[in-house]
Amino acid sequence: MLRCIIVGYGFLGKRLAKLIASGAVRGIKLVGIASSKGYIYKEDGFLPGDLPDDLRSSSMLRLAPASELIDKRIADLLVELTPTNIRDGEPGLSHIRLALEQGMDVVTANKGPIALAYKELMGLAEEKGAMLLHEATVGGGIPLISLKNRCLVADELLSIKGILNGTTNYILSRMHFEGMSLDLALREAQMLGIAERDPTLDLEGVDTALKLVILANSLMNMSKRLSDVKIKGITGITSEAIAAAKESGMTIKLIGIADEDGLRVAPKLVRLNDPICVHGTLNAVSFNFRILGRLTIIGEGAGESTVSALINDIHEVVKTRMRSNRI
Amino acid sequence: MRVKLTLALSDRPGVLLKALEQIALNGGNIVSIIHRRDSITSGYVPVSINVEFPDSASLERAKKGIEASGIPVIEAETLEKAICTILLIGAVKIEDLLRRVHELGSRVAEVSMTGGLTSPCIKAVIEAPSEKLSTLLASLESFAEEQGALLITEW
Ligand SMILES: NC(=O)c1ccc[n+]([C@@H]2O[C@H](COP(=O)([O-])OP(=O)(O)OC[C@H]3O[C@@H](n4cnc5c(N)ncnc54)[C@H](OP(=O)(O)O)[C@@H]3O)[C@@H](O)[C@H]2O)c1
Repeated sequence: MLRCIIVGYGFLGKRLAKLIASGAVRGIKLVGIASSKGYIYKEDGFLPGDLPDDLRSSSMLRLAPASELIDKRIADLLVELTPTNIRDGEPGLSHIRLALEQGMDVVTANKGPIALAYKELMGLAEEKGAMLLHEATVGGGIPLISLKNRCLVADELLSIKGILNGTTNYILSRMHFEGMSLDLALREAQMLGIAERDPTLDLEGVDTALKLVILANSLMNMSKRLSDVKIKGITGITSEAIAAAKESGMTIKLIGIADEDGLRVAPKLVRLNDPICVHGTLNAVSFNFRILGRLTIIGEGAGESTVSALINDIHEVVKTRMRSNRI
Repeated sequence: MRVKLTLALSDRPGVLLKALEQIALNGGNIVSIIHRRDSITSGYVPVSINVEFPDSASLERAKKGIEASGIPVIEAETLEKAICTILLIGAVKIEDLLRRVHELGSRVAEVSMTGGLTSPCIKAVIEAPSEKLSTLLASLESFAEEQGALLITEW
């Protein structure tokens, strides 16, 4: 059995812990969990009944940083699920480095470290013979990275265009269908828990840009940084502008584009009958391959569906390690 | 595709024929020929030929053939038009937009304004020669910036 620890016990961490502890992912057991409060561990593996709602209520809690748990060398796999930090990627970046240095495999949904230090981390993983999988960082449960890297390895990806942020897509959809102002649609999204209390990163296009950097670096072999992306957000979009677009059979969507001209994020006019024109919190990505041509994939880009990407990456690690008899 | 080829012909009989041969050889259909004798320079007469080519590869082959027979190709301008819709959110004067588009050899086919003074938005449908579209959009981007407006183009 592969032994795994989860660092970050919030929305995703709790759901994933429950799945692993209940045996839903074959070949793996959960031996440690960390949050900002400390960590708990159990070398023979947690069962569903062992999982506390809050680590503070566990009698096993050790008041020490997650790095101590990673350093214990009781696990083969780290699942890193701490909050995304776009300034320096911390604490996730240090967690991932520490694990890879010990040759541990890593699966993560944390965009910060992958967007800021992709080359470094991939280099480190290769040097140590470890795997670093990050499907869950972009597009929630939609398989984007594995789609290219497993199903379309031989074809060349020429461009990526996509709606990569569910919050702004929800807001723009409400403006389109209900004629609402941006402010009102934003407040509604906050009430529904779709938008965060501070929605700046979403509205200003930074979240889309982060995901675009991750896709361009991991699928198009680029070496881009967040500062290489020309970013325009949606804060200037008015209901009048959306109404004018609607009259012409179009609407406005926040689109991230990566192609030979570089990386950019901007509100764009999109035809209502274009396959990429999805509404609500849905995400949609259109790839343009040299031979295959255009391929568009649509799905929920965040929330519960993200757990699907995590367990598929975990399954990939288990399968690979079983084949190489490392477990 | 419709193309306007401008060639520099030396003012000797038979030179034009050579060029026309190359066009026909590569599947081009000649629509019209204009000799611009008013602008003869150092013995060369510029000649504009409007040609319908089956595709851009045949145009390229014809250009190479013409140049190989010693006739300089001054310009090959596609007469294909690209049509695109844009939105400008902000207080922009329609005349200024029209002027900027015109300066770039393009034209505004349709324009309307909504939102009154509080929330103005211009919608325009622009017609540009295909090869000039990206320059035009880049220039409109700086125009919007100068005006403190937000430009939204088709993706
Ligand atoms: N939720 C989604 O739909 C989604 C989708 C794609 C990607 N992501 C990314 O996935 C990651 C996790 O998302 P989430 O929604 O599960 O976040 P979340 O609910 O905010 O949970 C974050 C967890 O990280 C813990 N944490 C914070 N600082 C820590 C530290 N220094 N050491 C150890 N643990 C620490 C928090 O501890 P406390 O519990 O003690 O506060 C919390 O348990 C984020 O990077 C997010 O951007 C999320």
